[in-house]
Amino acid sequence: MFKIWQFWIVMLAITGMTAMFAYGFFVDPKLVKSPLVGKPVPSFSVQEMNTGEPIGSASLKGTPYMLNFWGSWCFACQGEAHLLEAAHRKWGQDPKRFRVVGIAFNDTLESARAFARRFGKTYYLALDDAQGTVILNFGLYGAPETFFVDHTGRVRYKKVGALTQEEIEEQVTLLLREAEKKP
Amino acid sequence: MRRGLETGAPAGRLSGFPWWKTARRIALGMAAASVLLAALTAGQAWGLSEDEIEQKSLLIAGQLRCPTCQGVSVKDSNAPLARQIHDKVRRMVAEGQSGEAIRAFFVSRYGEWILRAPKKEGLGLVLWLLPGLALLVSAGLIGYRLLGNHRQRMAAPPEPIPTLTDAQRARIASDVKTFEEQD
Repeated sequence: MFKIWQFWIVMLAITGMTAMFAYGFFVDPKLVKSPLVGKPVPSFSVQEMNTGEPIGSASLKGTPYMLNFWGSWCFACQGEAHLLEAAHRKWGQDPKRFRVVGIAFNDTLESARAFARRFGKTYYLALDDAQGTVILNFGLYGAPETFFVDHTGRVRYKKVGALTQEEIEEQVTLLLREAEKKP
Repeated sequence: MRRGLETGAPAGRLSGFPWWKTARRIALGMAAASVLLAALTAGQAWGLSEDEIEQKSLLIAGQLRCPTCQGVSVKDSNAPLARQIHDKVRRMVAEGQSGEAIRAFFVSRYGEWILRAPKKEGLGLVLWLLPGLALLVSAGLIGYRLLGNHRQRMAAPPEPIPTLTDAQRARIASDVKTFEEQD
């Protein structure tokens, strides 16, 4: 027969395993914690895919911005395209106040441009190189992924997957409020 | 104080012998040798052959998890992101970066998750030790149980052979007699 301490060891092991399984079931795999959150945004430099205007982490310092990674091959990117455009129209008209930046990756210029035309994107759009220089620097898993960067150049929030209207409102309001407080 | 013409060296017994020029030549020679040595050392680090670069990058790619796959290393995956990571590893190796620096780069972007084997420190050390510890405890428990049973058997007095009662003996004798009579 089992002795009392042997019973408790078995019970403890079963409880531990059950707790781990339960934790795994209740954790949203899309809420991937990025080591970049709270840290300075990785250095990047890209060119607008239509005008060739350069932009990068250095030139954006002082302006809060939303950095969205997308691809014409990405189905979820279609769903959030109108939200990003709406955010640009609402807050991004003054590029010194706020910017929406979209970087397509693993894509061709023609496909990315066609996608942008189809979904009426008018904000800043660039294409990462074939080596994935920018996406590897940002530790990307897939598309869409969005980073919210504050006016000091620090990553404040990262979203894996399509954004919602509420998330954009919440994060952009927070970034703008902090930027307006700056001395 | 009178100084030697042109040279600015202290005048006197040594003013005719430009000892400081010799010192300067020695210093310049040493500096040149240091630069040459540094260049040669760097050349050794970067001067890896194509095979060595490939071998080292394969080793490191095998230690990194493919971000878009299930339980597959970057080395074993054909996913576009895994190929880009592998190429980046190869470029970093060719630039002379150490395996530690390359792993640190990917950890800073993706978190500890990107490493297929957890670090042997902090919580990672617990993960390394736990299976061995569980095995030891289980083996100990089983051994303890078996030893306990063995001791119990050895210590217990032999079970007495049950003896027949008079009634049973009489019954057997009667049955035997019946069978003999039937024959």
